[in-house]
Amino acid sequence: MSERRDGSILAADIGNISTRVILIDLVDGRYRLLARGETRSTGGFPSGDVNLGIQRACEQITEATGRKLVAPDGRILTPERADRSGVDQFVVTTSTGQTLRTVIIGLVPELSIASAIRATAGTYVQVVEQISLADARSEEDELNAIIHSRPDLIFIVGGVEAGADSPVMRLARLARTACNLLKGGRVPLVLYAGNSDLVDDIHDIFQGVTTVLVAENVRPTLDEEHLENAARQLARAFDERQDQRGAGFKQVGDMSRVGILPTAQSYNLIAGYLGQALEEDVLLVDIGSAVSTLSASVGGHVATVIRPDIGLGHSASLLHELTGDAAVARWLPFVPAHNQIRHYALNKALRPSTTPESIKGLFLEHGLLRAGIRALMDTARPLWAGRADMPADEPLPAFKRIIAAGSALTRTGNPGFNALLLLDSIQPTGVTELEADSFGILAVMGALAQVNPTAAVQLLDGMNLDRLGTAFSLSGKPTPERPAMRVKIRLESGGEAISHEVPGGHLWIYPLATGQRATVEVSVRGRGLQIGNKGRVKVQVEGGSAGLIFDARGRALPVAAEVRHRASQLPLWISEVTGDTPILIDPLWLVEGGEEGHVDTTPPPPSRRRKKAEAAQAVADKAAKAAKPARRGRRGKAEAAETPAEIEMPTDDELSLDDLRG
Amino acid sequence: MYYPEQRYLMDSTTIRREQSLPQDAIGEVEVIEGSSVNLRDIVARGVIPSRYVFVEAARQLRLKPGESLSDFLQVAVGQSVSAEVLLAEKRGKQVRAPFDGILAAVEDGHLIMQVEPEQIVVEAGVDGTVVQLVSGRGAIIETYGGLAQGVWGNGRRTIGALKSEPADGLEMIEGGDLDIGTRGSIVVTKRPLYETGIDHAEYIGLGGIIAPAMDADLIPRALRSKLAIMLTEGFGPLTMSPLMWKLLDAANGRNALLEARQPDRWSAARPEVILNPVRSSNRAVRANPNTTLNVGSVVRLTRPPHAGEVARVTDLPKMPVLLENGLRVPCAQVEFPNGESRPVPLANIEVYGR
Repeated sequence: MSERRDGSILAADIGNISTRVILIDLVDGRYRLLARGETRSTGGFPSGDVNLGIQRACEQITEATGRKLVAPDGRILTPERADRSGVDQFVVTTSTGQTLRTVIIGLVPELSIASAIRATAGTYVQVVEQISLADARSEEDELNAIIHSRPDLIFIVGGVEAGADSPVMRLARLARTACNLLKGGRVPLVLYAGNSDLVDDIHDIFQGVTTVLVAENVRPTLDEEHLENAARQLARAFDERQDQRGAGFKQVGDMSRVGILPTAQSYNLIAGYLGQALEEDVLLVDIGSAVSTLSASVGGHVATVIRPDIGLGHSASLLHELTGDAAVARWLPFVPAHNQIRHYALNKALRPSTTPESIKGLFLEHGLLRAGIRALMDTARPLWAGRADMPADEPLPAFKRIIAAGSALTRTGNPGFNALLLLDSIQPTGVTELEADSFGILAVMGALAQVNPTAAVQLLDGMNLDRLGTAFSLSGKPTPERPAMRVKIRLESGGEAISHEVPGGHLWIYPLATGQRATVEVSVRGRGLQIGNKGRVKVQVEGGSAGLIFDARGRALPVAAEVRHRASQLPLWISEVTGDTPILIDPLWLVEGGEEGHVDTTPPPPSRRRKKAEAAQAVADKAAKAAKPARRGRRGKAEAAETPAEIEMPTDDELSLDDLRG
Repeated sequence: MYYPEQRYLMDSTTIRREQSLPQDAIGEVEVIEGSSVNLRDIVARGVIPSRYVFVEAARQLRLKPGESLSDFLQVAVGQSVSAEVLLAEKRGKQVRAPFDGILAAVEDGHLIMQVEPEQIVVEAGVDGTVVQLVSGRGAIIETYGGLAQGVWGNGRRTIGALKSEPADGLEMIEGGDLDIGTRGSIVVTKRPLYETGIDHAEYIGLGGIIAPAMDADLIPRALRSKLAIMLTEGFGPLTMSPLMWKLLDAANGRNALLEARQPDRWSAARPEVILNPVRSSNRAVRANPNTTLNVGSVVRLTRPPHAGEVARVTDLPKMPVLLENGLRVPCAQVEFPNGESRPVPLANIEVYGR
């Protein structure tokens, strides 16, 4: 796409919980982040219009900068006016909404279909059906499979350039028949990315049936793979489907030159860019409410995993189903009650934007988070293995940079705590730069790169991420409480070198602030210990909001198996990275499970048999009862209105419904 | 300016609800914009696609190149046919319907028959006015009445009179308490729901239950039940929010529609109970989706240790507040009816619709 040298750019990302908008403009010839706004997303109840959230976030930017961004009709003002109101470009991404249910039709599973699946990385695609020449089903069964999978998109691939055409056309005609039979309902879009000789024929057979998008052949030869163009068309299909969802997506998409693009595409793009630019292995992890994404550049190859069943809000219950109790319980410093973890996950899914308020709630939330990231990593590792010749059971690649996104990982209110969650979940080894995308900048990068690549690159290079600091992580099994790491820090600003020994099983933070630089030398103390496959490292590093983090806990992380030990271990680790007093765990929590909530004082309900007997008795007594006044009226009502003892009802003068009525 | 989560709890308001065919259905709308509808009126009618079967008609009729199968059809595409009905004929060669179904399409020499699909109708669900059509899917209907939204439902719907539980619990309602007129009632209980409660409610012929919470183990049982079951707070040992109880208890005896929708993470629709308006009630207040949180706002808290409790906002600190669990998040200072005051995360606050 040709680049336009626009000035101001407004970029919005609509998430399931939050809508974030950033204003970017040229300052001294470079693109800079000028202001940001964030508000609750408004696609759901009660307003059902995502545009409202964008307008509210823009109001915050207007308050901060004085620049008017929204016209009276609710549209973003474009282009920028002489009075500096409006912007030259508006781009928008989203991670909301259903995944694009996709049927992939191709010739050979190992060739064109495999390429098609790889092209879907970066878009919220759920492959619901695959049909190929290797399919043993009858044509009738294949047709029914397409129709009953309720696709949003039929993605047709196959045929090398100038190759045979009749097998592709036979499968395309099958897709056409399915589309015809779905008329009157939701007819899927078609994306064709096969033999380019057939493009006209494909257009002809779907004429008047459905919209056809065309991309470059994903497998022009047996050895070549071209995914980028198909990925863009998949994003366009996602945009088209979003338009049909209502909730104001069409209006918002119409304001952007490139429509609404999937947020995940940004992570894929950035992992690739950073991997190439830095020539290092890079990992990006975004734990969202409904969908989570993990993109990694390993050995120069990018792999992205998108999981709509991993999330800490809308998908919390699915996440718990996926990981089970044990994966969460191993992070709890208390004995959970029967179903306590499940109840937590279910309640979080019912109220996805809420935040833990109690100590137990915090550990449950972060237990789910750590289990979720672990599940994401487990999905991603085989992809890295395939690309970088790394067996799946080997230690992680030595990621030089890890970037966290999503409020669960970036909004604890303490950068040290944010860093700890990353270290616990990903368990990197060696020397790793940790960053957090607190402003939601990464989410919009994919869209920004399409309209203005220069702005995207300059924004990424411009320190717009929250630099948490540098982590030095030990591999091996250090002896608890015995020296494991010897640290020497020489500040660039001068002064005496700082020396410190970190005992095994502990973390230590040196508060090197953002912008400060130092030379750090770390040597291991103890048999079998390493740091980045060495016994000693000496590196120049820069500080961050958390500082320099020395993690002498070892790998794999020795989380205590016994709850009694976790009750001291987990609060201690938090305290060591935050500087706060350790959270106190009630000793009673270690012996019996107790669920949070109001204590239910209701006596155990009577058995069904007894109740049936009582009901039968009631029928027998019906005549006698009929003679008496029914137990309704004032007495019955007074009984029913009785409030549980632990709740004091507000008075009518205070918190009553009359108050609500105004 | 903070726009808090909203969960409506209003004794008289205007309500707009979309009633549409399920996503996989194919159908049409049967009402027009501006028309009045009763709750049992059909808004849309459609079918869920069933299996398609190829009938090799061209081969059976021995069509020659250039001959079109359509020229020999004896029934129209889209027509319902019974088994053995003549579908196509050419000089004495016949193709008959293999089963009861619909001739769905003629493609590439095949007749494509569809097994008789499942019919679906969508009812208005409320008495009201059609204010907007949803093309090919359904309509948005406006009505007014009381409205209380819950958090979970078992996917059922019922219409009946609300009945507050006796002081000793839902299980103590006796069959004799319900005469013919009140059979099918929707019972409101402020205690967590147990399996015995569902068993008993089914046994005595209730139509629905509104409860604050239940154990997650009960989900399969609740989903199997023919009762409409709505939870107002969630899962676990939670009691009903006092204002929820107060509204529903005050509506004892009023007819209500309990729409116990299952949560759908892709949909904005919520489980809810719509109370028939009282004749003498004041004019309905329209809910305000732009309600902001202010000092003085009356709010419901949604997370333990104060889940379901009602409080009043006394301050909105500009800086994040450190909680006892170590998180530092934006909070409101709230005061409880007993005078206690504490910070509560903004994310854990709901308002009622105005």
